Amino acid sequence: MKVIPTALKSVYLLVPVAIIMAFLWAPPAQVLGDASRILYFHVPLAWVSILAFIVAGIFSIAYLVDKKHTFTGLDEKAYNSAALGLAFTILTVIAGSIWAKISWGVFWNWDPRETSIVIILLIYIAYFSIQGAMASSENRGMVGSAYLILAMVTLPFFAFLVPRIYPSLHPDPIINADRKIFLDDQMRSTLAVAIVSFTMLYCYILHIMNRMMKLKKHIEEIYHDAD
Amino acid sequence: MGRDILRNIQKDFLVEFRSRFALNVSASFAAIVTIAISLTAGGVPFPVPVQSILLWIVIFFSAMNGLSHIFVREEDQATALFLRISVSVDSIFISKFIFNQVFMVIILAVVTPLFLFFLQVQVQHVAYFIFSIMAGGFSIAAATTILAAMVAKAGGKGSLFTIISFPILLPVLWISISSTSAALSTPPPTGGNLLFLLAFSGFISVISFLLFRFVWLDD
Amino acid sequence: MNKTEKMNTAPYTITGEGLARKFGRNTLFKDICLSLSTGESLSITGPNGSGKSTLLKILAGLQNPTAGNIGLASNGPIARMEWHAHIGYTGPLVNPYDDLTGWENISFAARRADAATRAVLLLDRFNLDRHRDKKVKHYSSGMKQRLRLILAVLNDPPILMLDEAGTNLDTGGTALLHSYLESVQEEKIIILATNDTQEEKLCREVIRLG
Repeated sequence: MKVIPTALKSVYLLVPVAIIMAFLWAPPAQVLGDASRILYFHVPLAWVSILAFIVAGIFSIAYLVDKKHTFTGLDEKAYNSAALGLAFTILTVIAGSIWAKISWGVFWNWDPRETSIVIILLIYIAYFSIQGAMASSENRGMVGSAYLILAMVTLPFFAFLVPRIYPSLHPDPIINADRKIFLDDQMRSTLAVAIVSFTMLYCYILHIMNRMMKLKKHIEEIYHDAD
Repeated sequence: MGRDILRNIQKDFLVEFRSRFALNVSASFAAIVTIAISLTAGGVPFPVPVQSILLWIVIFFSAMNGLSHIFVREEDQATALFLRISVSVDSIFISKFIFNQVFMVIILAVVTPLFLFFLQVQVQHVAYFIFSIMAGGFSIAAATTILAAMVAKAGGKGSLFTIISFPILLPVLWISISSTSAALSTPPPTGGNLLFLLAFSGFISVISFLLFRFVWLDD
Repeated sequence: MNKTEKMNTAPYTITGEGLARKFGRNTLFKDICLSLSTGESLSITGPNGSGKSTLLKILAGLQNPTAGNIGLASNGPIARMEWHAHIGYTGPLVNPYDDLTGWENISFAARRADAATRAVLLLDRFNLDRHRDKKVKHYSSGMKQRLRLILAVLNDPPILMLDEAGTNLDTGGTALLHSYLESVQEEKIIILATNDTQEEKLCREVIRLG
């Protein structure tokens, strides 16, 4: 068995390439100048956060549907993906607030999109609280998965509806002079590479986490058999 | 199924109103907080947005004191297994959902008049105000029913219910606050916000109904 | 009404194949196969902690086996979610509502139209009629056990699964229970989880765990 699939090993190439492209190859935007380069990190991070939460939700659905537990550890895979999602969301917030500081002058101003991401953070922090409270319970997997599904289906309400109902300062006005996001081809391809490489990075870390979980179980079983 | 639901609602009301534990706690909490706010304000009326924010904070925390009790009690008194073998799981959800809606209406009926009375609130659009309060209350009770079941399964520990309910309820509170403000100010309000509330609570109720069996049944 | 009549006439079958249950990393039992039809009875015995109650819960559909399949059929298979309507289950963890009276608990559990008349007879038979309007929290443990048994047989279920049915019962209570079980043996499937040799003898088949 291959420990890490070859496709995932591509992160070792992709991530450096993305970083070099973001800092050296892509041209600076007209208004923001070099500070606009944070775009190539903020956007992929935000995308990966959402992806991780959706993957967590899909694992959870699979866990609930798979009543016979044919696939082991689906609930724990969902847990791992949610944990990664939370980590990436925090990074998104950090990158976003640096960007906000440069363009609006403050780190935080409760813009609707900022508000939504705080709500999302709170929802997933709540997930970890409930998992923590059920540490030794047999229903931990079921309850956690049900919560992740509930969280996932409410995400669209927060992530998309709220910012659209309320006026936002967010991306449009701040990148270029004509108050529209305008990316030339070089910027566009840099962003695309960054998104792909961050997605691969997420898959890579998730793979390692799932493997660690499997090994931990395996070791416990061996240890138990030795008793 | 209809009979199952009725039997369970009847039983829940009997048990709950015989002890009145959850109801007493929620209602006294609401009264104490409202009076405390009024007292510290010293008779000076708050601006409209502050009034509606305070109103919804009081409603939210009063509800958090009682809405989980209907499930936590079954686990605490170890009657969950008896319930499980007597009533189908779908009926359990529907009857507890209805119970929580009734409970919420009672809390609203206690909190709102107290609030109007003590905080010198001037309601400009009475029908819209009542509708905002009812829609907000309905959404809170609808969204938290399944969360209450989860908390019960997690041992009903302390403030866990508030922690997991707050983020999911934030948009509900947000919209309820803005529509309550609208009802308290002069320009005529529009109904868009309330439609969002009803759509959100309808959607979340359906999802909760589908997920409930996984939460409530033992693995 | 038509449905209830059918419930009483068509024979029931419970089948279990390769049932196993792990608790954490401990295997409680494995490879249990059984098949029971109306008129048959089974007792599950074994030392404490051998998984008697767990196996009974699995058979009643209240818990999932870690491996294996379990089915209930009568004129075709019955969906898992509906099992509770066909099985009269009771055990030490089935607690009636403390704040309700015995009679209110019975009304809550009553699913059939004739349950009230049956309840009066059963209360009389189990000598609980004097206490029917007392709150359950004022019951003695023996009285509570009698109430549990009444609740289990109240809807005249075609399958009875009793976990430690004789706990806390006095000699009179035990005799009542045994005579009741003997009287319905032909028309029901009876499964008992017990360590009582007398109860074990009531059943035609035995599974020994542990």
